[in-house]
Formats: sequence, structure tokens, C-alpha cells
Amino acid sequence: MAGQDNVETLVVLQPISVDTASPDQVGMLVIANGLLVAVLVRLDAPEHARCGSWFLEVGLGRLAGARAPTFDTLEDATRWMRQRLKR
Amino acid sequence: MQDALIRKLESFEELTSADREALRGFASRVRQVGARTDLIRENDVPGNVHLILSGYACRYKVLADGQRQIMAYFVPGDFCDLNVFILDQMDHNIGTVSACQVVEIPRQAIEEITARHPRVMRALMWCALVDEAVLREWLVNLGSRPADQRIAHLFCELLLRLEAVGHVNDNSYLFPFTQTDIADTMGLSDVHVNRTIKELRRLDLITLKSRVLTVLDVEQLKTYCGFNPNYLHIRNTRWSGRRQVPWLSSALGG
Repeated sequence: MAGQDNVETLVVLQPISVDTASPDQVGMLVIANGLLVAVLVRLDAPEHARCGSWFLEVGLGRLAGARAPTFDTLEDATRWMRQRLKR
Repeated sequence: MQDALIRKLESFEELTSADREALRGFASRVRQVGARTDLIRENDVPGNVHLILSGYACRYKVLADGQRQIMAYFVPGDFCDLNVFILDQMDHNIGTVSACQVVEIPRQAIEEITARHPRVMRALMWCALVDEAVLREWLVNLGSRPADQRIAHLFCELLLRLEAVGHVNDNSYLFPFTQTDIADTMGLSDVHVNRTIKELRRLDLITLKSRVLTVLDVEQLKTYCGFNPNYLHIRNTRWSGRRQVPWLSSALGG
């Protein structure tokens, strides 16, 4: 399997403020090989089960409709998305 | 305890004392089931019909990737599936949400009571009809309402269904569902459910404390999600005189 993916997807994160109709506003555009594939949002509202974790607010293309867990770090989120984008 | 069922059926049909007596005979085999326990699983061969006397249960499927979809909630007085005894094999799961008292009714008992008590038969048909109408409404909810209205609609529906069986006090009812349960019911993420409930609280429409949901302003909540209770057919007794099922009466010998 690993041999099939010699070229690693280039994932770039770009900070952006997001209107989620909630206190969660700190976000990241996720750009994979030059294409916008997702928007991540940090869960800052105290009501969330895992405050401070990152949530896949929107997925596009192969990430559309994906129900992802929340991620402790941006690295975890990126790793998860990379795996999905490989398929 | 059988009162929940009798009360529910009487909201559809006027029953005689003989009908009520027969229904009381139903509840001979009551089983206590813990929370989060399956009553019957996909691929099982169903033998009995399950009736919830107390507590909450749900109907659900699990996809290959582990994702759960809940398709129905059952409250006291609800048959989990009146028709499953006709099936050879279950195509979905039925499990409890909170601890439940469940009556297991053998197929034969249903056949006997429906053959001898046409009013009970009609009321049971009403139950099946309403179950289907609720499923239709849930389909509309999932496909056409935004997340906040979707959840508000569920809260309204539960209020009316539980009120019909006497489980609402001061617009409050037990709400043992987790955010994940609601997410799996509404096709949303836990995060969206969390934000929506917070928004409904902020608007002073509901409170949710210690697993008790209180609707603070029923009319406002209904307006918020465009709730029309017609599909629940809760107050139909006043029309019972006008309802006729002639083919059924003749099939049963009057």
C-alpha cells in the first residue's frame, strides 16, 4: 500500500476566522495540492466535550460529508485528512 | 403500568371495559432491561412484539464503517414494532436508551386480541399508521430542515407524545439521550448538536438539566421549527364516530 503513494499530498493550513453561529471562530482553511478541501474550527465554547480540540467544520470533495472525530492537535487532523485524501 | 398502552389506544379508539380487560392481560411477562441493551438485533428471527411500559428505546442500524443511524424513538406505551412478528429476519436493531420495563407479547396473543376485539384492532392499526407518519415526518426533518429546527422539532414531538401518555409535568420530561444519540438521530455531528442546544437555551426556548428537558415556551418552540402536530393524530377520538372500516368489520364478523 505504501508504495502506491510515493508523492505525499502537500497540505497547507491557512488561518481564517469562521462564522459558526457560536463562539467557535478560530479556523484554518485546509489546502491540499492547491485545492481547498476543508475548514477546521477550534472548539472554544466551554460547553464542548473536548474544549480546545479541532473540528472538521466542512469537508469538500473527498472529505464532503465525512464524519470525523475531533482532533487534539492540527497535526492529528492533518494526518487524518491525508489518509482520506489518499483513497 | 399497562395504563400507558390503554391510554395511548384510547386516544385513537373508544375502548370497552372488555377491551381494557383483554389489554391488561397482555402485560403478564414484563422484563426489566438495563439501559443501552439490545432487545433484538439485525438478522435475529423475531418471535415477540415488544411494548415499552417505562423508559425509552430506539430503532437503529449500524453501517459498515460503524456509523449508527437511529430511525425511531420509543416512549412508554409504544410498540417497538407491531409487525415484526411477520418478518423472518430483523433488518434493524431495537435497543433501550434508558432502563426499560418491556412487555414481550407472543404473536399468538396479538392475533387473539385482534380477532376478538375489533376496537383494539383499529387502535393498533392507528398505532402502525402513526408510526409510519412519524417516520415520514422524520424524513422531512432530516432532508429539509436546518439543524436547529430539526432538533427543536424532535423536542416538540417528544413533548406531545409523552404528554399523550402522561409523562410530562410542567412541560418537562425525562430526556436520557446523549448528544451523540441526537447526532446519530439527526444526521449531525456532536459539535453541531452541542451548539444547537446552546442556541435553543440562549433563546429561552428550552432548558436541559440533569437529563430533564423543559420546554419554556411551547408556542415559541413550535413556531421556531414550524411544528404541525397533525401527523401524530393524537386527538382523534372526537372523530371516531365518523371513522369506518367496513371491510374490517365484515372480515371480523361485525
